[in-house]
Amino acid sequence: MTTNTARDAATAASGLGQAGRGGGTSVLLQDLTRVFGSTRALDGLSIEIAPGELLALLGPSGCGKTTALRIVAGFETADAGTVLVDGKDMSSVPASRRDMGMVFQSYSLFPNMPALDNVAFGLRMRKMGGSERRKRAAELLDMVGLAPQARQYPHQLSGGQQQRVALARALAVEPRVLLLDEPLSALDAKVRLQLREQIRTLQQRLGTTTLFVTHDQEEALSMADRVGVMSKGKQEQIAAPDELYEHPATAFVAEFVGVMNRIPGELQGSGSVTALGSTVPVRGPVPADTEVDVLVRPEGPTMQVVENGNGIVTTRTFLGSVTRVGVLLDGDVAVQVDKPSSEAAALAPGASVSLSLPGQPVLVASRRPAPS
Amino acid sequence: MAAVTSPRRREPLPIWRWVILLLAGAFFLIPLLVAFRFAGIKSFGSVLSQSGFTSSLSLSLRLAVVTTLITVILMLPTAVYVHLRLPKVRRVLEGITILPIVIPPVVLIVGVLQIAPGSLKSTPYLLALEYVILAMPFAYRAIDAGLRALDLKTVVEAASSLGAGWVTTLWRVVLPNLATALLSAVVLTVALVLGEYTMASLALFQTFPVWIYVNSQTSGQVSVAASLLSRFVTWVLLMAITVLGTRQQRRIGGGAVNLFTVARQETRGGA
Repeated sequence: MTTNTARDAATAASGLGQAGRGGGTSVLLQDLTRVFGSTRALDGLSIEIAPGELLALLGPSGCGKTTALRIVAGFETADAGTVLVDGKDMSSVPASRRDMGMVFQSYSLFPNMPALDNVAFGLRMRKMGGSERRKRAAELLDMVGLAPQARQYPHQLSGGQQQRVALARALAVEPRVLLLDEPLSALDAKVRLQLREQIRTLQQRLGTTTLFVTHDQEEALSMADRVGVMSKGKQEQIAAPDELYEHPATAFVAEFVGVMNRIPGELQGSGSVTALGSTVPVRGPVPADTEVDVLVRPEGPTMQVVENGNGIVTTRTFLGSVTRVGVLLDGDVAVQVDKPSSEAAALAPGASVSLSLPGQPVLVASRRPAPS
Repeated sequence: MAAVTSPRRREPLPIWRWVILLLAGAFFLIPLLVAFRFAGIKSFGSVLSQSGFTSSLSLSLRLAVVTTLITVILMLPTAVYVHLRLPKVRRVLEGITILPIVIPPVVLIVGVLQIAPGSLKSTPYLLALEYVILAMPFAYRAIDAGLRALDLKTVVEAASSLGAGWVTTLWRVVLPNLATALLSAVVLTVALVLGEYTMASLALFQTFPVWIYVNSQTSGQVSVAASLLSRFVTWVLLMAITVLGTRQQRRIGGGAVNLFTVARQETRGGA
């Protein structure tokens, strides 16, 4: 099903004959700052979105990602900083003249218009003639696989269908920039997955520069060319998904993206840290204390079944090709370790294991107080 | 053999529902029947020829139109603006709009008559201004509920991102979706104006309700007939508005238009 929809979308999109519009639009956010009362929603955020790129802003709620997107859209104004689209300052341009398509988190279709009229609305605003407008709107609906629903009103469509119409509506005007504000978060898991693929396929075919805001790391990692992780109004790291996962720049990114273990360790003078009996080099920022937590992904540590090891297996969860093993280390530290399922047979709950760190450089963070 | 259960099995109406329905019906209908018998068929014919009937009825209808216009023109932009830009003021506004219910009409009209300039006191449209205030609690609430059901902010932003200016957004997007709420506001306002007695009588204007009362002093039967007629006319008017409104709303997925519940059903998501 999923692949079919994506393929339909791709075929339809290429049929529109606007794939790879020459060059595309670049967007530059410069030093954006926005203060609401006593909270700094944005604190000097600078990001560049390359022409045709899909950039995801990822972060916990309240990190300022939506504020950033709304400033780009023209619904909010920045207290300081500028948004440049193709080098032109947007601050004096109202939202209705920015030529940006937007898909909202909540259902935003006009309830009084059938799907086709919704899609045609932006074209009507651009004074396109009636028959041409309807033809173009029908093409767009076809592109998102909803041609049969053209005459239906929003309340007759499912949530996923409504968001697809909203996407078609945003794309109908051939916007210079596409803004997606958590468009999938109101949908159930299966529809979300399907629509995720569809959005990405369309975006690549049309070559529309896209800013995508989400709190769902899986969504960001699977769809975006680059992901900007935000925390407290600032950018923590901006990188390609694999880079972000494998080489997180800060402890925040490391823990926000994917699963991360914290293992107590002690900093040595020479830029290395001792944990689980081995000493490994440290990379990234180093906290002031010597008592730190070492951050390790579940696939990081090596683990052998031994007698009187430094940990005991507590749980074992089969996840397909890998099995996730919960281990309780000496000192009541719980960690998760992934093993290929073929090697996990001996790791039954109760087994004594020995965990150690591989030689690669690791990230460290200030030690988190033990939960009481 | 699989038992086929019809998806919409009709639940039998419990007997007590009928009892309540009959009791309520009797409560409302008996006075009307008695009034009808008292008036007699003949007096209905003479209502039209009674002096003051046409002028008072037309005054009430004009007042209804003017009041409704002022109410909508004042309330709609206010409610929209508050929803979009001043959400914190919404509570304050709710409090203010309920005041006319708390303050007796007598107090309002006596106060107004004290301070109103003579030119205003001499025109019946002074009453329209008063009625706008009386209708405010109902009208504002109706419009407010409609705006809440719409998710106004998102819809307005969507229109704006598609290139629509303010006027276009209001006209093409906001108004059509507030049709139900506006109809409710109109229905409530019209009903209020057609039935208001205290203010009109204290301000010495002969609106239809005042005329009925004055007439009852001279010809009881005719005034009762007139009163029944006015009730019927009002009822037909309100039914027409609700039926038309509901038909419109059904098309775009809203519920029935009725006097007190105006919130449209949320458009639902899901797969």
